Amino acid sequence: MKLICTQENFKKAIYSCERMVSKQNTLPILNNILFEAQKNKLSLSATNLEIGVQAKIGAKVEKEGKITIPARIISNFSNNLPAGENISLELSGQSLKIKSGAMKVVIKGLLADDFPLIPKKKADSLLEISGVKLKTVLSRVLTSVARNEARQELTGINLILGQKELFFASTDSFRLAEERLVLDKLSVNKENYEIFSTKNGSLIIPSATLAEISRIISGDTDTPVKITIEEGQIFFELENIIIVSRLINGKYPEYRHIMPKEYKTRIVGEKGVFQSAVKMASIFASGKTGEITIKIDAEAKKVLVSSMSQDTGENSTELNFDITGPSQEVVLSSKYLLEGINTVSTSKLALLINSESTPLALREINEQTGEVLEDYTYIVMPIKN
Amino acid sequence: MTNEELWQTALSEIELSISKANFITWFKGTSILSNKDGHIVVGVPNGFAKEWLENKYNLYILRAIRNIQEEVKSVSCTISTANTEDSTQKEPLVDAISAPKKVFVKESAKFFPGQENNLNPKYTFENFVVGGNNELARAACFAVSQNLGQIYNPLFIYGGVGLGKTHLIQSIGNEILQRDPSSKVKYIPSEKFVAEFIEAAKTGKINEFSQCYKQIDLLIIDDIQFISGKERTQENFFHIFNHLSQSNKQIVLSSDKPPKAIQILEERLRSRFEGGMIADVSKPDFETRVAILKKKAMREGLSIDDESLGFIAGNIKNNIRELEGALNRVAVSAQLSKKDLTPTYIASILGEIISSGKKKGITYKHILKTVSGFYDISPDELIAKNRKQEVVRPRQVAMYLMRSELQYSYPGIGSKLGGRDHTTAIHAFDKISKALKVDDKLFEELTSIKDQLYSIV
Repeated sequence: MKLICTQENFKKAIYSCERMVSKQNTLPILNNILFEAQKNKLSLSATNLEIGVQAKIGAKVEKEGKITIPARIISNFSNNLPAGENISLELSGQSLKIKSGAMKVVIKGLLADDFPLIPKKKADSLLEISGVKLKTVLSRVLTSVARNEARQELTGINLILGQKELFFASTDSFRLAEERLVLDKLSVNKENYEIFSTKNGSLIIPSATLAEISRIISGDTDTPVKITIEEGQIFFELENIIIVSRLINGKYPEYRHIMPKEYKTRIVGEKGVFQSAVKMASIFASGKTGEITIKIDAEAKKVLVSSMSQDTGENSTELNFDITGPSQEVVLSSKYLLEGINTVSTSKLALLINSESTPLALREINEQTGEVLEDYTYIVMPIKN
Repeated sequence: MTNEELWQTALSEIELSISKANFITWFKGTSILSNKDGHIVVGVPNGFAKEWLENKYNLYILRAIRNIQEEVKSVSCTISTANTEDSTQKEPLVDAISAPKKVFVKESAKFFPGQENNLNPKYTFENFVVGGNNELARAACFAVSQNLGQIYNPLFIYGGVGLGKTHLIQSIGNEILQRDPSSKVKYIPSEKFVAEFIEAAKTGKINEFSQCYKQIDLLIIDDIQFISGKERTQENFFHIFNHLSQSNKQIVLSSDKPPKAIQILEERLRSRFEGGMIADVSKPDFETRVAILKKKAMREGLSIDDESLGFIAGNIKNNIRELEGALNRVAVSAQLSKKDLTPTYIASILGEIISSGKKKGITYKHILKTVSGFYDISPDELIAKNRKQEVVRPRQVAMYLMRSELQYSYPGIGSKLGGRDHTTAIHAFDKISKALKVDDKLFEELTSIKDQLYSIV
């Protein structure tokens, strides 16, 4: 193997692969990244046997070949590389010689023959989502994923392939985030999609996979992400990177029926103002859950965010938000509410309440028209007294 | 031959031709899904295993299967999404979200396997004798009883038989109940836990079983090492464990060895056991033994002089239970024969128990046999004149045991082990004695060698 490639491409490929290696030591080769030079391409692969990633970059290949190199070493090398010079790679025995400008490195590797084969996709892609859009969706739903592995299915994100809409949802059983994408706005392979949505309309994707994808999607250029689903596995294709992941076995809990169809009371106001009021209240919030109280007085047209702790003191903030509907008083966990507010991307938000013991929702507000947007919903359960 | 038998037989053959790591990585969770017209479909857990088995191991698999069933012509793999776990045993689907509860106090919720907490009220911190051997363990237990679930969760206490583990961990429970009788405390020996689990599995009440354990404020499991090898129980225990520790409920475990020495224990359990506080109780020193005897004598209302107590404590060193047994024996015989308790009289009563090693008729041959058997070398090699790395340590262990268990003289040890010099024996004894204090693994080894030694006679 002998080749030359640009440093930018090289770093990008390493960045995409470096985190996918296994942390277990049963198979040492899983700590490595596979380098493969073939026909003007250098492809890098890494896997932990749950997720696999393959990044291809253009290169001037003089001699084909392959080797695996420890991910930790090559990623440290790549991070510390001074910018500029092109990189030349050459295989010598079981080591990889790397040259960039005045720097020379020799890294010891393992034979490529034992490296796992990354599953290749067989079916055509099912749908295409804009990378930037996917990144925002993921950042929202990843907040509510359960960290505790006691319930496997909740550690993933539920993707529902509906007739007209696509839903991404996650919950840790205390709060829930759901994002709706209308199919008409996406490019969809209609035939395949129909077959899938009727046969297996609900999937659970491991959150680690999606966190990694969200990391790899760069925010600055909007490249579409192609999604392909096969039995037990899912593929994501970005420009030159393809990621394959297992799906979580199991049934995601039905959550649609918990989401209220209508809300009696609605308050609308600046996200920043609400955020700082809740943050302030959380300082004095009592109990392990950080309880704060939101009191909506419909007659006086006032919203009061308050908290009180026997140890530390108390606090209250009055907000001049638009109120529609009757007065309400709810007790909430400040942590869950705050994390929900953080996922709102518009400058204004709506808080929707039915009663002190039913779920309440956060939604975004259209910047121009001031309407409540229904695509994204974040639901929190109030604390029972 | 069923598909399962066929696959098991094939696997055992494949296992021989590839490395263990590879075997575990690629063949875990596989099974034969169908066997029709000479074509076998193997179900694999993920796409990686499918690619690997189809492209790299196809020949191995085919060869192994054809050795058993010649008519098989081809093998292919498919990702089986069928849940390997029985879906009916999963927790019933609950609502996706629920309210975080403000407080967890519920009035005497019903306990399924019986409401008794199994605690023996006689075990308390007050009547526990503290010595250098158990200071740390006692302090940890006491701290836990004062701040339930806040510090040291889980608390793991280990030590040999009859050294007071049970006393300590039950004391926590009694202390808690004394302060707040409504607390839910449960003490259970692990074999009983396993038995309850099996019973629940038999009657299909695993959910109730888990549920009832998940409501406990303080769960004490004694002799947790017996859970080793019981995979389903371990799995269920893992979930209960997680649930309790997440809701800041206290878990206290005891075992006869540290977590890393328990065999066939799932890694995730092991690491959780090691995640809290680990404290050991070791053999009590002479002063502690005397103190224990004094306390016991006082409780029983015995009048016995310090010299006699010292004599008993000096002769029974390994086990507190034996120590108390000896005192009981002395007390009863004295009562019956109406004689005064003097060291000579006590020696005559306890003659059978004292220095049990000699009494049991163990000779140096037993030691050589047990040691060589334990380290898997031949007894001749222990005696032979060489200094091979793998023989040196066992030989030193044998010398140590001959000295400590049989009180052989150093020259005697030397001559029994191939005419070695007595200084060699002295060196070996010193070396092992020193190593025992710092090397836990060696300590474990010696303990099990001694167990074997005394069980073969």
